[in-house]
Amino acid sequence: MTERGQNNSPGASKTRRTFLLLLPLGFLTGALTSLAAASFRFLRPRITLASDKWIDVAPVADISGTAPLPKKIVVEHVFGWALTTEERNVFVLPAKNNQVLSAICPHEGCEVAWDKNTNRFSCPCHESFFAADGSKLSGPARRGLDSLPSRQQDGRLQVQYQTIAQNPKA
Amino acid sequence: MNPSRNTPRKPNRWRAWTQTTGGVVASLLLVQFVTGLLLAFYYVPSVDHAHVTVSFIEKVLAAGSWIRSLHHFGSQWLPLFLFVHLVRLYVDETYRHCPGHWIGAVLLLGLTMAAGATGYSLPWDARAFFSTRVAEGLLGGLPLVGRNTRLWLLGGSEISSLTLSRLFALHVLVTPFLILLVVWWRGSAVNLLNRWSNLRFHLIAGGLAFTVLALFTAKFPAPLGPSVTTASADYLPRPGAQFLWLYQSLKYMPGGLGSIVGVVLPALALLTLACLPWLDQPWLKKFSARPQRWIAGVILAACCVLVVSMTVLSYLSDKKDPRTRQQLARQASEEAAFRQAPFVPQPVMLGAEQATTTQVGPPESYNRFCANCHGPHGEGARQGNLRFPPLLGVSLKPRRTVEDIVGLLNDPTAYGLEPPMRSFATKLTDEEKKQIAEWVVKLK
Repeated sequence: MTERGQNNSPGASKTRRTFLLLLPLGFLTGALTSLAAASFRFLRPRITLASDKWIDVAPVADISGTAPLPKKIVVEHVFGWALTTEERNVFVLPAKNNQVLSAICPHEGCEVAWDKNTNRFSCPCHESFFAADGSKLSGPARRGLDSLPSRQQDGRLQVQYQTIAQNPKA
Repeated sequence: MNPSRNTPRKPNRWRAWTQTTGGVVASLLLVQFVTGLLLAFYYVPSVDHAHVTVSFIEKVLAAGSWIRSLHHFGSQWLPLFLFVHLVRLYVDETYRHCPGHWIGAVLLLGLTMAAGATGYSLPWDARAFFSTRVAEGLLGGLPLVGRNTRLWLLGGSEISSLTLSRLFALHVLVTPFLILLVVWWRGSAVNLLNRWSNLRFHLIAGGLAFTVLALFTAKFPAPLGPSVTTASADYLPRPGAQFLWLYQSLKYMPGGLGSIVGVVLPALALLTLACLPWLDQPWLKKFSARPQRWIAGVILAACCVLVVSMTVLSYLSDKKDPRTRQQLARQASEEAAFRQAPFVPQPVMLGAEQATTTQVGPPESYNRFCANCHGPHGEGARQGNLRFPPLLGVSLKPRRTVEDIVGLLNDPTAYGLEPPMRSFATKLTDEEKKQIAEWVVKLK
């Protein structure tokens, strides 16, 4: 190409060469940009909104005593192509007007268990402890167990389940 | 490396452009790698999730349809341009000046065909399923090694989830790795970078090829039919464009000969082409002064004639028979309907079986009107020639929500159902229809 360029006038040759230089670069940038933009949109994470569906926990009549009651609820979520149905653990507090607590530890997200002997919730991961009403006793967690919105409908206790962001204080 | 160094440079300005077939191949390969990588972020290689993940990519994800179409049609363009590239290398007698370059191109052609064959099964629609069947038959029909090759490909005695995992591993790990190995070994990329004057042309040609492919695929989505589980018995499978020649020639081959033509012959042709640099033997010179040129010419011409004639014939024979034409049109409209239908997420149970699958019996009206044909639990039945479809999992099909099923009970023909399914518009009350529909959609 260079040999032929010398035959033309120097100015024309220079524009021509710049053009020939820019054209492939333009093509390359165009192709790569469109692919990159598509890739970004394609891979962008899909935010699942908190569901406002009311989920059955138990018949109100079955809830008695004073200690927190472990219950399993069935949660449905659409995650991309999957409509997942899974069980989540919650605690009902008969002593606190049937308040429902999420079992997820507000520290790093492990699941707390109710310890009958010491009368407190304990987290198996990093030794956070919570009182029977869910408030924080000791350990690295920065707040008490999260309570879930609940209601009583037709004699059944129901909750709206949501995973609450870990670690913030309040 | 560049053959033009050895041949006298002709003062022809078009000559530089004929040298850019490599750039086109490289850009198409790059597209395949990028789009394949992206698709792998969502695809699940298992018989119960493959199809739903592909339709999720196709229907829900931003740019998903385009990316999948690029991958699909790119896989058909790639062997075509590799063949053109090979013809160009043949014209330049690259196999003499630069054997590595030539062998690399031949290996790439074989590998892209292998990648196409293994990738075709992955979407797990009827088209994919039957292509797997044909591959199974072709390999099983090989002399001596047929039985074992088939078993090793399928991962068992039948097509199953194991087969899909194998094809997936071959498609996304084995073939791409071998392709990268060939590209790296040829080192042509490095060679190109050293020669800006050539690279410029390669970039323009490659970018142009990408642009055309991008525009084409933006207009035409890759085909995707309903899941293989819903395919009817009269489904007519047709392979991708790069395998139409094989599909058509299998029609003319009695039985086991198909495996020879479909597998052994192409493998031999590629092997001979790959060995071309060593075929400059004295004993071959008895037949011709330039045996390499002669051998490669015959093979390339034969491939060309076979592929073009068989591909044209396959189109013509599909056009000729009115029943085939009708069935293909029906399939196309089924595919179009599936594409239009909104995406339905697939139920996935994560340790919650007991809680949700508390089976409730069918409503009384179901037992009275539906159970006779569709079975007391919706399992379907067969009476002579009549096949009553099972209702299990019916809610996963397009247009089968509760409202749809109520509508279908009122007017089955509007939902594409044929007699003996009849209208229950007057036989059932609206409340009963709703009860039946609500029970039926829960069947799994």
